[in-house]
Amino acid sequence: MMLFMLLAVISGMALSSQAAINGQLGAKVGVIRSSLLTFSVGTVVTLLLIFFFEPSYEANLLTVPKWQLMGALFGIVYMVVMVAAVPKVGVAIATVATVFGQMVMSLVIDTQGWLGNAPIELNYWRLASMICIACALICIYLSNKQQEKYNVSTS
Amino acid sequence: MRIIVILLVVFAGMGLSFEAGLLGPLGHQVGHLWATLSIFGVGAALLWLISIFTSTGKNQDMRSIPKWQLTGGLLGPIYVVVLTLATPVLGVAMTMIGVLVGQVGKSFAIDYFGWFGTSKQPVDSLRVTGMLFVIAALVLTYLGVQS
Repeated sequence: MMLFMLLAVISGMALSSQAAINGQLGAKVGVIRSSLLTFSVGTVVTLLLIFFFEPSYEANLLTVPKWQLMGALFGIVYMVVMVAAVPKVGVAIATVATVFGQMVMSLVIDTQGWLGNAPIELNYWRLASMICIACALICIYLSNKQQEKYNVSTS
Repeated sequence: MRIIVILLVVFAGMGLSFEAGLLGPLGHQVGHLWATLSIFGVGAALLWLISIFTSTGKNQDMRSIPKWQLTGGLLGPIYVVVLTLATPVLGVAMTMIGVLVGQVGKSFAIDYFGWFGTSKQPVDSLRVTGMLFVIAALVLTYLGVQS
């Protein structure tokens, strides 16, 4: 379990590096095209990994129920919404709103066992951890707000 | 108007958890790498279609793009593979909190050490406090599973 926690942390680091890199690429070729490039490279890399490392399974992507293939849609919708929303509400609010949505929905999925996940009981530990996330969001919001103010005054 | 935009972002964030919730069971059925391909394959196909219809004429020569800026495509699959591996073991919430620790920690480190050519910034005590809270949240969910 510790190992998977570590993996999740590392993947978060990869995600924020990716966001930083994509931001620079997006400024040059536009958001849609930069995402297309990123996803194309991702597709090719994943295919190469499948060819050499993936053991065979009973089911495949064409036999599972179609709704299980909808994951990519949510990622793209998120991207488009952020592009539209950040100029209107600022990074600080957008970040807080994103994490808030993530936490609420992940608690619901865990507690109800939606989408074929094993249900996980909502206990006091989990509630306490959500309070910590709320405190963290306040800190992140204030810090981003400061930075935005600083950026405006220097540009 | 503003509140509608904020609500949209909240829904979009919910979508990210949905994506994570879909990936775990899918990876279990068809394999983790195939599940990852469902994200990148479908995503690339959709984005290709969108790019046809939204072409702005800002058609930059591919060769003029610095190659390292394409490495984002290598990092994305790491995130998706880990989602398929981790959510069945940790649950969606703990996985998302773990990812958040990585994101906040990394952005703090980038500012603090001045990586990727950004200018070094003094320690932002608010950001450090925020990071400590996120780590506390991760520890608490972990304890919640143990108890």
